[in-house]
Amino acid sequence: MITKKEIVEGAKERDVLAMFAFMLLACLAIALDHRHGVPIFIASILIIAIAVSFLKRDRVRIAGLLAIVILSLFSIGFNGVKFGIDFSGGVRIPVLLETSVSADVMEDMVSTIKTRAAAFGLTEVKVRPIGDSEIYVELPQSSPQLVRDVETVLSQQGVYQGVVDGKVAIRGDDIYTGTIGRVPSQYLQGADWAVSFTVTQGGAKRFSQTVLGKADYPLYMFLDRPDNAIVVVSEKSLMNHSKSAGGQVSKSRALELAVNSLKLEGADIPVYIEEDIAGNFSIAPTNNRTKAIVSANSTLMPKLREAGFVVVEKSDEEMSLEYQVSQSSPASDAVSVWKAVGLLSSPRLAKSVTEGVPSFSYLINGAAQGDTAAARAADALKKERELESILKGGALPVHITLGSKTLVPAPLGAEFLRLSLIGIVFSLIAISLMVALRYMHPQIVLPMICISIAELIILVAILGSFTIDLSAMAGILAAIGVGIDAQIVVTDELLKKEEEPRKRMEKAFTIITTSVMVAVVAMLPLLLMSGLVEIIGFATSTILGSLLGLFISRPAYGAIVEHLFE
Amino acid sequence: MAIDLPNIYNGNYRLLMAVPIALVLLSLIFIPGVELGVDFKGGTMVTMQANQSVDEGALRAALTDAGFEVSSVKSLANPAGYEIEVEIERDGNLTRAEQLKTDFFSKIDEVSRLESDVMATNSSPDAVSKYMEARKSVDGMADGLFEIAGMPGNASGYPGTNELKATAGVVYRKILDENSERLTQTLSRNVQYESASFNQVSASLSDKFVERVVAVVIYSIIIVSIAVFLIFRTLVPSLAVLIGAACDLVIALGAMGLLGIPLTLASFAALLMLVGFSLDTDVLLTMRLIKRKEGTARERAYEAMKTGTTMSMALLLSFSCLFILAMVTHINTYFEISAVALVGLVGDLIATWMLNAPIVLSYMEKKGDAGKEEKPFLSSIFSG
Repeated sequence: MITKKEIVEGAKERDVLAMFAFMLLACLAIALDHRHGVPIFIASILIIAIAVSFLKRDRVRIAGLLAIVILSLFSIGFNGVKFGIDFSGGVRIPVLLETSVSADVMEDMVSTIKTRAAAFGLTEVKVRPIGDSEIYVELPQSSPQLVRDVETVLSQQGVYQGVVDGKVAIRGDDIYTGTIGRVPSQYLQGADWAVSFTVTQGGAKRFSQTVLGKADYPLYMFLDRPDNAIVVVSEKSLMNHSKSAGGQVSKSRALELAVNSLKLEGADIPVYIEEDIAGNFSIAPTNNRTKAIVSANSTLMPKLREAGFVVVEKSDEEMSLEYQVSQSSPASDAVSVWKAVGLLSSPRLAKSVTEGVPSFSYLINGAAQGDTAAARAADALKKERELESILKGGALPVHITLGSKTLVPAPLGAEFLRLSLIGIVFSLIAISLMVALRYMHPQIVLPMICISIAELIILVAILGSFTIDLSAMAGILAAIGVGIDAQIVVTDELLKKEEEPRKRMEKAFTIITTSVMVAVVAMLPLLLMSGLVEIIGFATSTILGSLLGLFISRPAYGAIVEHLFE
Repeated sequence: MAIDLPNIYNGNYRLLMAVPIALVLLSLIFIPGVELGVDFKGGTMVTMQANQSVDEGALRAALTDAGFEVSSVKSLANPAGYEIEVEIERDGNLTRAEQLKTDFFSKIDEVSRLESDVMATNSSPDAVSKYMEARKSVDGMADGLFEIAGMPGNASGYPGTNELKATAGVVYRKILDENSERLTQTLSRNVQYESASFNQVSASLSDKFVERVVAVVIYSIIIVSIAVFLIFRTLVPSLAVLIGAACDLVIALGAMGLLGIPLTLASFAALLMLVGFSLDTDVLLTMRLIKRKEGTARERAYEAMKTGTTMSMALLLSFSCLFILAMVTHINTYFEISAVALVGLVGDLIATWMLNAPIVLSYMEKKGDAGKEEKPFLSSIFSG
């Protein structure tokens, strides 16, 4: 029997103390470093699980389970439990990629979709990669108009505009998209990277006329440049990257460059400094559709709304300007990146293209950054891809198909969640009653139920760190039954009187280990190879439930019950 | 022990096998009747939330009049009022449009390159003829799209490929929009719904689902078989375990056909899980039978059955909760998973204890019940 004395002694053991100390440290880390709460939580669980499977001592096993349960409760409290739109309400549109892509390309695609959605004013859109061939686009609201907007963003290309000195020099329609491509390294002529493209006859004519005599001027490359808009930028965003490679940019020069970059005949985007207009607010929209592009953290938002602007929120990173300046030719100084307004790059015009002779083929090249040759090559490739994507109107590198969209009204989602939680409680009660009837001994039944609850807490904490959707919830319910199963195997084995308990435990674990292995193996292809996101949550929770049980809770249960039989 | 079952293995246990064999044969009759869900056959599933029920027949007639091929209309009570579910078959025109669009966009870049060649070579006859030929084929695809959209368009009338590309994109979008517009209008005229969710599975998407599911099935079969053979390292027990799992799947599929549970991604996942459950009890039985020596083989089989049925009871209970939850909420994912799990677990009880057990028992008794206890390699890694 487990006595109070034994618990006290167990707690004094060095390994047990170390485990709890580690757990407290992990809790502290989660509380302090909120941004990395989830990775810290998962890593700590893994470390404890590994420690438990190596130390293989009863007290350590029980302590390990306790530590993980406390850690899980802590994570639920601090990191929270995230629910999919099935429960929180909203719209989800899966985007299926025709082929699987590398992590880099996936990152590019996610950021392209985000940028393009933001250009559409869809700032609440969440875009996240799922595996290597699928992307989820989620909206917290479920209005059909928003859904259509997102679908438009995904299925149509963006509008590319190249602006020189306030005039459109080149448009996306002028470029033969089939000809946009990276230049092989042997033709680079000193540059680190280059992208070439061919323009139509009309495009060549317009370009050569517009850029006539403007050597060294920046070509502002916009993707989905907003029209009928103003932009309100804070001093911080303006000066964030003021120290560029070519030298320091002063505040007045920065503002001048910002204004220049947004000049376009008849469609200038006026630039205001947040701090300047905060005290003396006197700007008014041209009409009721005029957009005000502003940082999501700005305190001016209510005032802008009041004044009748359509407020478009951007993140601070998108609001920040990057510059390229040079001492030798101030005419080429420019804002190089300003994502909030769709300005993505601003290469300088070479003298040869500004002499009035129309040409069909053009080339944009540049230098790469990085300390090692490999880093420079990677940077060059990244820049080439970026530029290609801009010229193609933000087209995604692989062909996409829109998956089946799911739309859940928020109150219904909340109701589903409530009922599902009730379902879990009922399932626990029903199973508890069943084992109580089957075994009759409180010393067996109570630990069984406690372990099931512990498993449930851990499972919810881990899955909730990512997202619990409908299929994951079904998996959690199933995991309750699966979890109790292995404990039944252990109990039945221990109830036999033939051999010593240790031997019987070993036999029980042989069975459990084998069956967990085959069950996991059966589900593994679904988890790893299918990319069927709709049901991956289910596969994850069943597999996770089985593994948790095998490595953590069943050894602990065995340790507890074994003591009861001694 | 509160629950005690009689030892069914005393006497001629081989007769037990008649039950699962009959059940499997019966199931084979019903398997062709398994309905494919929207995920696999394509089409549109609209789920509406409304305050009042609707006349299913009238809604069906209205949709048919609007040119939709309706496969089912259901009106069910749920916690927030009524849920109205409409399933519409894959639209032939949409499938054709999607195909044309995919073909068009995969070729258009090549054509645009050829067009630029024409310019670059100052209209050399060779470049021009190549361009014209390629252009003709994409023009055909674009004309197909225009025709489906009901637009008087002539693709060859577009001077450059860029204009044609832009128009084709817009036209395809228009085809999709018009279709969903027509559907939304028909629905809103007939149902006073508060919210509606459209689950549209295009032809290429459902093909992709089928392709992936088939791959998953093949991989699962292969690695499960390898795992089982590695664990038991003897032919008959390994085969018995695999046969048990296969029978369970056949019975589950048969029940799906009989009870009208559609095969969707969710029920597919449940079937895979069933393989795991089925192996779980099969492994318990086979381990206890061939790797132990206490008592007679029949006694061990009986003891294993007691443990195994308790385990199945626990699973049946938790999936019953999910099933009840599905009945209350009408969440299809819950229903499909729990219904498949319930029928499969019953099937597993029958397949394991009436088919698998007799096979292994008779193998043991033929061998002379002298199985040596050997420790499988896996347990030495994980158990204490």
